[in-house]
Amino acid sequence: MVSLLFPFMVSLSNHALRQGFRANGRMDYYGNSDKIQNFQKKVFRVSPSKAALPIMLGYLALGVPCGILGVQAGMSVTQIGLLSVLLYSGSGQYMIASLALSGFSPLFIALSVALVNARQLLYASALLPFFAGEPRWRATLAAANVTDESFGVNLSRYQQGGWSARQSLTTNLYSQAAWVAANLAGALLGTRIQVNTALAAFAMTSIFTCLLLMQKGRLDDVLAALGAALAVVACKLAGLMTLAIFLGALAGVACGVAARQWRPKEGGILTRPRGEA
Amino acid sequence: MRGSDFFIIFSLTVLCTLLSRTLPVFLFARRAVPPALNATLDYIPIAAFAALVTNDLFQPHAFASGAWPALLPYVALIPVLVVARMTRSLGLCTVTGVLAFGVLQWLS
Repeated sequence: MVSLLFPFMVSLSNHALRQGFRANGRMDYYGNSDKIQNFQKKVFRVSPSKAALPIMLGYLALGVPCGILGVQAGMSVTQIGLLSVLLYSGSGQYMIASLALSGFSPLFIALSVALVNARQLLYASALLPFFAGEPRWRATLAAANVTDESFGVNLSRYQQGGWSARQSLTTNLYSQAAWVAANLAGALLGTRIQVNTALAAFAMTSIFTCLLLMQKGRLDDVLAALGAALAVVACKLAGLMTLAIFLGALAGVACGVAARQWRPKEGGILTRPRGEA
Repeated sequence: MRGSDFFIIFSLTVLCTLLSRTLPVFLFARRAVPPALNATLDYIPIAAFAALVTNDLFQPHAFASGAWPALLPYVALIPVLVVARMTRSLGLCTVTGVLAFGVLQWLS
């Protein structure tokens, strides 16, 4: 219970501080003044472990049924461990197990997973501007274990500033450690662990919702989000369940580019105007 | 699963996924991204997050098992939206979402 409430308390105190300091100074992306930014850096060091905590809790819960499903699909514990370390893709590993259970050929399974994971191209591209000035090997390493969730968390940290490829990599490794541990626990202990999967999945939905609302809400951004959402609905209605995220995001980007001409010069229709106090 | 079947799945998926994750960074690291591409990159985060949220919420066949189970995630999302708007904190949003979803699940 205490561990559940801890992030709540830290966030609440951060929020209170932010409110208190909002009155003066230069504002950052989130409306924090420079005073509070310095204060936050000193007192609540934005550490990778804190950034990774919400992801880790979700992965610990979602990784267990993934391991169980792997065993049901006839994989050994070693094979499940190898996949969780080197493939490290929740949707991919679920797909492998469920397609293998349905008796699809290995080549078909491999190509389906590869196609679904092609959405990672988008994440890597979106992180590009933030890797400027980093050594190539470190940037590549930091991109090598990005997932839907860790992309979102790292991106929001980069937008807030003071985040580097090194911290990004550490956050990813914390998240991956939770995923691997949960996969192995599921594979070894099986259904002796009961997990409320719907609840854990909704924790991830909450993260994505928060990340969505953190983005700037200019007209073109809103149209990009709407385009992505509508495309996902269309894909799922058409039966393209696993490709919906990738195709939806692509459609959203296309909508944004098409609507860029309507981007307002300053501010947005959803965000409060920020800047000089 | 047979060893050879696993090897095909394992090697192909790991190779393709790793390439998708690293190739853009490996190619463009320490090189200026062309302005036209940069403008496109702007929209990836918001489009991706909108797609991920919609993908989680929208289940085409959810209403087959009754209206309430299908509506539950949408109702649970309301407090998350409020907290996200007010605090912009991932931790608080996660806790709010889990509490709201858990309570609604427990009530139904």
